[in-house]
Amino acid sequence: MGHSRYHLAAMLAAVAVSSYAVAEEPTKPGEVPKNIDAFTPGLMPVEPLEIPEDVMKLLEFLPAEKVEFLKSGESRVAVRPDAMYEKIKAAASQEQIEAYVDAIISVYDEVQFQEGRDADSIPLNTDSPTFNDWKLLRPRELDPDREPGPIDLSRYVGGRGGSFSTFAGAPVAFTPEDLKAGEVDVAILGAPLDMGSGWRDARHGPTAMRVLRHGTGGADVSTLVNPGAVLNIVDYGNAAIDQFSTERSVQEVRRLVREIAETGAIPIIIGGDHSLEYPNVAAMADVYGKGKVGVVHFDSHLDTGRGRVHLLDHGQPIYRVMKEAHVRPEDYIQVGLRAHYSKDYYEWQRLIGMRYHTMAEVERRGWDAVLERVLKEARENTEYLYISFDVDVLDPAMEPGTGTPVSGGLTMREAIPIIRRLCSESNVVGFDIVELAPALDPTYVSTLNGNSLLFACLTGIAMRKEGLTDPNYFSPLSSEHGQDNYYGDKK
Amino acid sequence: MTGRKRTSLLKGGAAFAALSLSLAGLTAPVAAEPSPEVQQKLDALSAEETAFISDPANLVRFGLTTEKLHKLIAAKDAEAAKAMVAAMMAAVEEAKFQPGEAETPEGDELNPIGDMSEVPLNPLAPGFNGSTVLRPAILDDRQRDPGPFSLKRYMYETDGIPTFAGAPVAIRKEDLIAGGIEAAFVGVPLGMSSGWRDSKNAPGVMRAMYGIGGYDIYAGVDPTLELSIADYGNLSIDPMSLETSVDHIRMMIGEMVDAGVVPIVVGGDHSVMFPTVAAMADQFGAGNVGVVHFDAHYNGARDLAHFYSDEQSVSRLLEEGLVEGKNLIQVGVRGPEITEEALQWMRDQGVRYHTMAEIEKAGWGRVVKDAVKEAKSGGKKVFISFDISVLDPAYASGAGRPAPGGLTMREAVPLVRRLCAETDVVGFEMLDVSPYLDLSYATALNANYIMHSCLTGLAMKKKGVKSADYISDLTSSDD
Repeated sequence: MGHSRYHLAAMLAAVAVSSYAVAEEPTKPGEVPKNIDAFTPGLMPVEPLEIPEDVMKLLEFLPAEKVEFLKSGESRVAVRPDAMYEKIKAAASQEQIEAYVDAIISVYDEVQFQEGRDADSIPLNTDSPTFNDWKLLRPRELDPDREPGPIDLSRYVGGRGGSFSTFAGAPVAFTPEDLKAGEVDVAILGAPLDMGSGWRDARHGPTAMRVLRHGTGGADVSTLVNPGAVLNIVDYGNAAIDQFSTERSVQEVRRLVREIAETGAIPIIIGGDHSLEYPNVAAMADVYGKGKVGVVHFDSHLDTGRGRVHLLDHGQPIYRVMKEAHVRPEDYIQVGLRAHYSKDYYEWQRLIGMRYHTMAEVERRGWDAVLERVLKEARENTEYLYISFDVDVLDPAMEPGTGTPVSGGLTMREAIPIIRRLCSESNVVGFDIVELAPALDPTYVSTLNGNSLLFACLTGIAMRKEGLTDPNYFSPLSSEHGQDNYYGDKK
Repeated sequence: MTGRKRTSLLKGGAAFAALSLSLAGLTAPVAAEPSPEVQQKLDALSAEETAFISDPANLVRFGLTTEKLHKLIAAKDAEAAKAMVAAMMAAVEEAKFQPGEAETPEGDELNPIGDMSEVPLNPLAPGFNGSTVLRPAILDDRQRDPGPFSLKRYMYETDGIPTFAGAPVAIRKEDLIAGGIEAAFVGVPLGMSSGWRDSKNAPGVMRAMYGIGGYDIYAGVDPTLELSIADYGNLSIDPMSLETSVDHIRMMIGEMVDAGVVPIVVGGDHSVMFPTVAAMADQFGAGNVGVVHFDAHYNGARDLAHFYSDEQSVSRLLEEGLVEGKNLIQVGVRGPEITEEALQWMRDQGVRYHTMAEIEKAGWGRVVKDAVKEAKSGGKKVFISFDISVLDPAYASGAGRPAPGGLTMREAVPLVRRLCAETDVVGFEMLDVSPYLDLSYATALNANYIMHSCLTGLAMKKKGVKSADYISDLTSSDD
C-alpha cells in the first residue's frame, strides 16, 4: 500500500522530469541511487508558482515576504493554485485578500515540523522492567536438554507434524544449531507484524497457514517433484513482534532472517504486512552483500512511498531498501502493479532505473510475454534472487483475505507457474508471503492460496536441488497421457 | 503371554498402593518443601540466586511456581540447575532497556546499535502535521453560514449518505454552537488494539447500520426528536502511532465539550479512552469526572515499554491524576490478562470494580444498584466508556478482544439508559467494535442500540424524568 496519508505530498511532487527519463547510468552495488530523492517530498525542490499578472497586481499592497511566500509554491500545502487565484480575484477588499493569505500562511506553519513545538520521535519508556519482554528469548535451560536439530512433533511413524499445526507439517527448529544439525534447506518463519494501513489482520497470517496446512504436501502435478521428500524443511516458529511499533519489530525480523540465511538455509517468511520486505531484504544484503541480491516484488502496490512522517510502513519498504543501498533499482522487479498511484511515482521509478510490470503491461502484451520478461530480468544482473509476494497481487476473487485488496489482479494459474519457475530457474535465497489477513475471508480460500504459493516455491527449490532447472520444465509423465502423438512432439 | 499377564496382576496391588499415596499427596496443601535431592541442589545456589527464586514475582515471569521450579531442578544435576537459575536471572536483566555501546551512524535509524530508545520520525516530511491541521473556514472553496446541515435529499429519507442516527452533519465547532447541538457523534478510528484490529472500520459500518433513534419502548421518548443531535464526522488519526494521535483527539473532544455538546465517541479501540477522558478532565477539572467503564478488560497495565495502548488507558488516567480511583467504576471485567497483583493494585487505587465473578455471586440487580449509586455519589460529572467486549460474544462477535461469559443486551441496555438518565453524563464512548469479525450485522446493530439507550437517557433527563429506574407506564402496562 503506498498512498500517502498526505495529499500534500502528491501535490508537491509535480515537478521537473517531464520526458519520462530513464536512468543515465546504472547504480553501482552498495551505492545509494543517484536520484533516490529526486521525488521525495521534503527533500525535492518545491516548484515555484508563476502567479498571473492580474493576480500579482492585486497582491501589490501586501508585505513583500507574504508575496514571496506565495511565489515559493509552498501555498500548495493549503490550497490549489488556481483556486487561490480565483479567490484573490473575487475578494471584495484588500482586507479580505490579506486575511485569506494569512490563513494560508498559518496553515503552512502549522503543517511543517517545528523544532520545539513538534517532537521528532516517539518516546519509549526506557525505565520499563519489561522493555524487551516482547523479544525476550526463553532461556533454553527451562526445557529438557536435547540434541540440536529439527524436532519432530509427530507421535507416529507416519509423521508430518502429528497433531500440531506447523507450516507444511514440518518439524520445528528454534536455533541456528538446529538448522545446521538438520542440514536444513528451507526454514519457514512467521512474522505476524500487523500495522498495515488497510484492513488489519495480517498478524493471523502465519497461524492460519499453519492450521490449514492443506496445499503444502505431496507432489506438484506439473513436475511430479515432492518438495517435502526432497528438501529438509522446518518451521522456525515466529519472529517476535512489537505490535505497537514497526520500527522496533523489523530489527528482530532482520536478525532472525539473517540467522537462517547464515546457516545456508533459505528463509521463507510468512507475514505479517509488507513492511517486512525491508528487514527481509536487508538481511539478504547482510549475508550476500549490498547490491548482490535482486528482488522480484509481486504486489498490486508500488510500495515506493517516501517522505512520510514514519520512516517505515507497509507502503515504503522498497524506498527504504534502496535508500540504504541494499538493492540497486536496476535489480528491483515489480509485478502486477495496478493500485491508483499518481504519474510521478512511475516517472521516478523509471528515472532511477527500476523494472516495473503493471497490469497495464499485462493487458497490452499478454501474461506470457510479461512472465518471460520477468524471468529473464530476474537472472540478468544478480547472482542471488529474493521474492516478495504480497497476496494482494492476486485478484480479490482469489484472495479476499487481504488488507488492501485491488480488483483486476492475477489468477492462481498465473501466480503458481511464475513462482515455481522463479524458484527453480533462478538462485532464490529467500521468499516471503505477506498481507494475508484471514479474518477478512470467511472461507479457507485465501489461506489455501497462501499455502499453494508456498508449495509452488518449495517445489521450485526442490527442482533446483534435483537439477531440474531447464526453462519451463514439465514432467513428461504428468503433462500428457502419452498414448498417442497428439501434440506431434513425442520422441 | 499368560506369564507376563500374571506378573502384572501380581504387581497390581503395589501399583494401587502407590496411586493412593499420590492421591493423598494431592489432597494435602501444596507444599513447597523440596525433596532432599532438590534441597541439595538449592543449597548449591549463591545467596543472590536463592533470593531470586524466593521471589514468586520472578518465577511468575517464567510461568513457574516454587513447586514447578523444584520439578525442573529435580530433572537436572546441580550444575545444570544452577545454570538454569542464572539464565533466568540473565533473562530478567535482558528484558530491560539495553543502551547501545556506540552512537548509531546516520541512516541506520532502523538498525540502531543497542535498543531503540525512541521511535524516530521524519521531521523533513512536508506533511508532518498535515493530517491534523484544521482547514480555516476562510479557505473553503465556498462559504456557508455555520450550523449543522442535512445530507438528506428527501424529508423522510432513511438510506442515502450514511450518518449516525441520520443526523445532520457538523464539521466545525462553530457548526455545533450555531445549531445548539446537545449531543454529537464523532468517529475516532484508531485501531491499534492488542487484539484483532478492525475497530478502525467501526465508525463507517455503524453509520451505515440502523438502530439509533426513534421511539424508545422503555422510556416512552424519541431521543432523536427530543435532542439536537449532529454527526461530527471522524477525527484524523495516525494509523502508525497512538502517540501522535492522542493529543489531537484530546483537543478535539475538549472542543466539543466546550461547545456545550455531549460527545458520543465511536472508536477505535480502548486506547481512545485515555484522550477522551483526559479531555473531560481538562474541561471539568482533574478529579471532577467519574468514569463508568464497561469492559471485559481492566486496561490497567503498567510499566510497559510503550506509553499508550488499549491495555494502559486506565492506569495512565489514574497515574496522571486525571481520574481518582474511587471515581472509576468498572463493570464486567473478566479478561484473562488480569492478575492477582493487578486486582490488588486496583483495590489500592480505590477502583470500584464489579467483575463477572461479583455478578455471578451477588446477582446483576445488586451490581446495577451499586454501580448507579457509585456513579451518582460525590456529585461528579460522569463519562461512560463502553467496550463492546463487555457483551457476551453471542451479542458482539465483532469485538477486537472478545471474552466469553459477558453481559446480555437485556442487562447492558437498561444500565446504560439509567446511567444516562440519572447521572450527570458529559460524554459516552463505544469502543472496539470490529465489524468485519462479525459476518452478520448484529454487532453493529447492538452497538448502535447501546448508544441509542444513552441518548434515550439524555432525552429522559431533558424531559424532567426524576425517578430512578423509570419505565413509561404507557408502554409497560395496559391499565
